[in-house]
Amino acid sequence: MNRLDYVVLIATILAIPLYGLWRTRGRETLGHYLKGDQSIRWGTIGLSVLATQAGPITFLSMPGQAYESGIGFIQNYFGQPFALITVCAIFVPIFQRLKVYTAYEYLGQRFDQKTRLLGAFLFLIQRGLAAGITIYAPAIILSALLGWHLNLTIWLAGGLVIAYTAFGGTKIVSITQRYQILIIFIGMALAFGIAVHRLPANLSFGNTLSLAGKMGKLQAVDFSLNPDKRYTFWSGIFGGFFLALSYFGADQSQVQRYLAGASVTASRFGLLFNAVVKVPMQFLILLLGAMIFLFYQFEKPPIYFNQPAYERAVALEHGSELTQLQSEFDEVFARKRAALISASSDELLKLDAEARSIRDQTKTILERAGASPKSNDADYVFITFVLQHLPHGMVGLLIAVIFCATMSATAATLNALGSATAVDFYRPLIRPNAPDHHYVVATQLLTIAWGLVAIGVATFANLVENLIQAGNILGSIFYGSILGLFLVAFFLRSVRGSAVFFAALLAQMLVLVLFWTLSISYLWYNLIGCVAVLLFSVILQRTVFLEAVGA
Amino acid sequence: MISNDPPPLFGSWRRAYCFALGVFAIEIALLYVFTVRFS
Repeated sequence: MNRLDYVVLIATILAIPLYGLWRTRGRETLGHYLKGDQSIRWGTIGLSVLATQAGPITFLSMPGQAYESGIGFIQNYFGQPFALITVCAIFVPIFQRLKVYTAYEYLGQRFDQKTRLLGAFLFLIQRGLAAGITIYAPAIILSALLGWHLNLTIWLAGGLVIAYTAFGGTKIVSITQRYQILIIFIGMALAFGIAVHRLPANLSFGNTLSLAGKMGKLQAVDFSLNPDKRYTFWSGIFGGFFLALSYFGADQSQVQRYLAGASVTASRFGLLFNAVVKVPMQFLILLLGAMIFLFYQFEKPPIYFNQPAYERAVALEHGSELTQLQSEFDEVFARKRAALISASSDELLKLDAEARSIRDQTKTILERAGASPKSNDADYVFITFVLQHLPHGMVGLLIAVIFCATMSATAATLNALGSATAVDFYRPLIRPNAPDHHYVVATQLLTIAWGLVAIGVATFANLVENLIQAGNILGSIFYGSILGLFLVAFFLRSVRGSAVFFAALLAQMLVLVLFWTLSISYLWYNLIGCVAVLLFSVILQRTVFLEAVGA
Repeated sequence: MISNDPPPLFGSWRRAYCFALGVFAIEIALLYVFTVRFS
């Protein structure tokens, strides 16, 4: 990065929050602070919902995911349109009618205080940890590749978000997200254009896609019924539906976005906008990864994208082994490069498997040397491409894209964590009947506290798998139970508070046990957790808590 | 939220939901054609 890149980066990441602070200046009531005075239009809600979901992991890891495994990850989003329509039809009017600040308030009104607290508690655990991952994920990659201090990077992104989110509440989150997502769109579109432009001039776009398909990167839809496969049409439709329904219907970080709408219509259109835009958007991000993969078929890629880790291993007396692997890798690349246009799909896949095997051996040596990184090498693919092959100015813009994504997702999360803690715990349990301004200040302080927790988690995080999956796995473990609470509330009118409370606890324990013992696609835990709450609550209501109904 | 919302753009919400699902179905069909064509 040169001076121009730093100017673009700093100007971009500071200008948006400063504009947001100017737009939200003035003293606020609790309603304004938590719901943004409900003047926000559907376009802003739609972009805000989109920005909340699409964190930095989406833009850093997803192209790398396509680089490694193809674009099949798109199927994870197939359940989302159905879920969003369900939220529009069922959740939005109920939350609107009851005028709740948080989704868990509804559980308190439908069941009892302990069920409300359980729902809010599960949310706080899951989101508190996820906020840490959201900050940590880009920080570890940017600090490794740019030589920045890790904790400084974490504090730079985290500190700025804490400051403006605590100050401006829901309205500033929505306003800043609108501009942050626009910057993200512009940056990713430019990166896509450059990736395609840097391919050989004699290769048409159609031929480019054919070549990527020949190398197994463009299988978007897979109807396989094998439950061991992580991404299939069916796991996407069913598991993805429950994940998205939990996320949009029962996760306060999203509920708060559409509760800020100027009307029910605005909330619904904002959500429906996401129902139609999400799949094409994710497709283009994954296709960008496939284009980068193709680019690196013509231009030799590094044997290991996390170069600082590689160089540490070289410095730790593993240089001769790695040099040997590098020469094997160069030889396979040269053969693959020569065969690219004329060879059959099988031949290319075989050569690609050889190159992958050498990369795996490199990773093993890095692990043996103690230079093993805390994240998947695929997460470094996109940012390596940006740093090495994009012109100056664009590099700064793309780093700003990563920061914008981090800030937009983290701001929504902190806003929701602070709100849920204040409204669901502080106000009913610690300080009922205080003046309105007292709760605004309490929510601001709790937002800051959660920001510090997220930074703490980020500072001590050790990721074990691909960053994009770490976030989704964490969500899938908790979301099923939370969604189950809401579905029982909506559809099983005979079930009371105690039955659903203990059913959710049992379901959560079941999911945790299954997670540690099975190796099925994590998306299924959303379905299992949710169905378990529904089943257990009916059984408990008709057995253990039968008298409570009669009483 | 304001209770007296203006009438929805598509005449009724059912039609709006059908429209969104229709767009989604087209997206899936295009992705399937894309998969068949390029893999």
